[in-house]
Amino acid sequence: MKREKIAPAPREAAVILVAFAVLWFAPAFIGEYGLQLGFRTLIYLTLAEGWNLMAGSAGLVSLGTSCFVGLGAYVAYGLLNGLDLPLPAALVVCALSGAALAALVSPALFRLRGLYFTVGTLALAELLRLIMINVSAFGGATGFFLKNDPPALPILFRYALAVAVIAALAATLCVRTRASVILRSVRDDEDAAAQMGVRPFRVKLAAFMLASALAAMAGAVQAVKLGAIEPYGMFGLQWSIDVLTMVIIGGVGARLGPLVGALFVIALGEALADYPEAHIAIAGVILIVLIRFAPRGIVGLAAALGRAARGRALA
Amino acid sequence: MLALSVASSSIVSGVLLGGMLALAALGLSIVLGVMRLVNLAHGDFLLVGAYAGFFFFTFTGVDPLLGLPVIALFVAALAIPVYRYLLQPLAERGAEAQMMTMFAISIILENVFVLAFSADTRSIGVSYAALPLTLGPVTVPLVYVIGFAISLVAILAVHWLIARTAFGRDLRASAADAEAAATIGVDVNRVRMLTFALGVACAGIGGTLIGTAFQFSPSSGGAYLLNSLAIVVLGGLGNVLGTLFGGLALGALQSVGGLALGDGYRDLVGMAIFLLVLAFRPEGFARGRR
Repeated sequence: MKREKIAPAPREAAVILVAFAVLWFAPAFIGEYGLQLGFRTLIYLTLAEGWNLMAGSAGLVSLGTSCFVGLGAYVAYGLLNGLDLPLPAALVVCALSGAALAALVSPALFRLRGLYFTVGTLALAELLRLIMINVSAFGGATGFFLKNDPPALPILFRYALAVAVIAALAATLCVRTRASVILRSVRDDEDAAAQMGVRPFRVKLAAFMLASALAAMAGAVQAVKLGAIEPYGMFGLQWSIDVLTMVIIGGVGARLGPLVGALFVIALGEALADYPEAHIAIAGVILIVLIRFAPRGIVGLAAALGRAARGRALA
Repeated sequence: MLALSVASSSIVSGVLLGGMLALAALGLSIVLGVMRLVNLAHGDFLLVGAYAGFFFFTFTGVDPLLGLPVIALFVAALAIPVYRYLLQPLAERGAEAQMMTMFAISIILENVFVLAFSADTRSIGVSYAALPLTLGPVTVPLVYVIGFAISLVAILAVHWLIARTAFGRDLRASAADAEAAATIGVDVNRVRMLTFALGVACAGIGGTLIGTAFQFSPSSGGAYLLNSLAIVVLGGLGNVLGTLFGGLALGALQSVGGLALGDGYRDLVGMAIFLLVLAFRPEGFARGRR
């Protein structure tokens, strides 16, 4: 096995916290449009960090991001409208409910070595969406309005920032500490890992629960910003498509993959905002090309180019 | 009496629809068995068959059910370059790379449908589409019965192909152990390519049948993919006749769910069954050879 360079966790965590501190004051400088884009990037980054943790570290390819985004949105509205809970407390409950749902469905989804994980998560998202549409207690096809006015955009930006920083720190903890060895052993060879005393089911479950908790928090913040939710949007497949696209384009398993991918997908979306169908089709073509020729995404490509340039400089 | 008639007609309709979907599910199942690939674009290939039937009928005026062999060949011909240029180069890279490539093809196809054919809901308007067929208390549309019969014949033909022919022997060998099959001289790569084409053709034929009986739109693919998967796990992976019975069972259960809870619950029943079977009986209900 190739030895991978492991940056010390404390240094990486420090970088994340500095970025957090700097961005905290961004609302004073970047204006409305910048805040909107920044908010979306942070939500996407949160989702992508969780997805990358599952796929890059535990080999779980999910098409169920929308399931947990939607769950977080609905739970948040229930807590904010029904119980008048403050938003931070609601976010904690959303995270817990996301992790709980992941644990609940894991016996079904981890069958057959993850062959069914991808479609199982897809089916779960569809199931939840259909429940929300059909059961009138969950608002039916029209959904819910937020009872109180949502916080102002700069405040929401800071909530999204806080959630994204939690996601980034969680990812750092998972890939820069001893936990990474356990995760990667399960991804690379489940049987060998089991013989070494690692329990693959528990490791995969932990990654799935963590990613689901993050997605539920992101969904809750997004839902509060919208001020109204309905099942077609909050449980829309587009969430799952976007997240998968981001991480594959950025680089599955690369630490910077989610960030690079999120920026790329947001930029592509802005460039093709007037052509939604063409936008998705082009994203599909980019996916196919990258999977074939650059399976490590933009980050992997950049690293390879960097190595080549250094090699030439030495020669 | 009227209630009984409505209920029995609805359940029989559901079974007939399940029989049509079973053909598409069979295509998904053999690709899964031989290539270890969940073809995430399966529902979109089904729509290719539905659109092909639609335009075949629109331009030639010939009954699309007579054109099925042509449509099947057309869809299979689309599948071969997909396998050759997109899937085969990824064969050594594990299941995920191929699956995500098919996912990308799925989102490309869906949006190409919208761009080329608009997002409108369509159906193939054959002249007998609205004719009813009554037998005792049961009244069902004639097209359901015709589509079911064609699907049944196609499923039995695929069963014969797999169980009795030399290609079928190679297919079963490749599904059981690709390396061992290769050492005894099976051209596994060719078998995979033909299996993929056959599987996609099954989806295409199923698509024309379903397009004749029901409405479809560019975004219908996902629901067909998931219902097909529910049928595959109900019937047991790699079990041809199990898939047929899985289809009939799913169709009946969806109708019962629709009758008991309301029409919106039909698809919900399919998803719930899929997840419940995976959780409690992942080997399926039919006991048969894997």
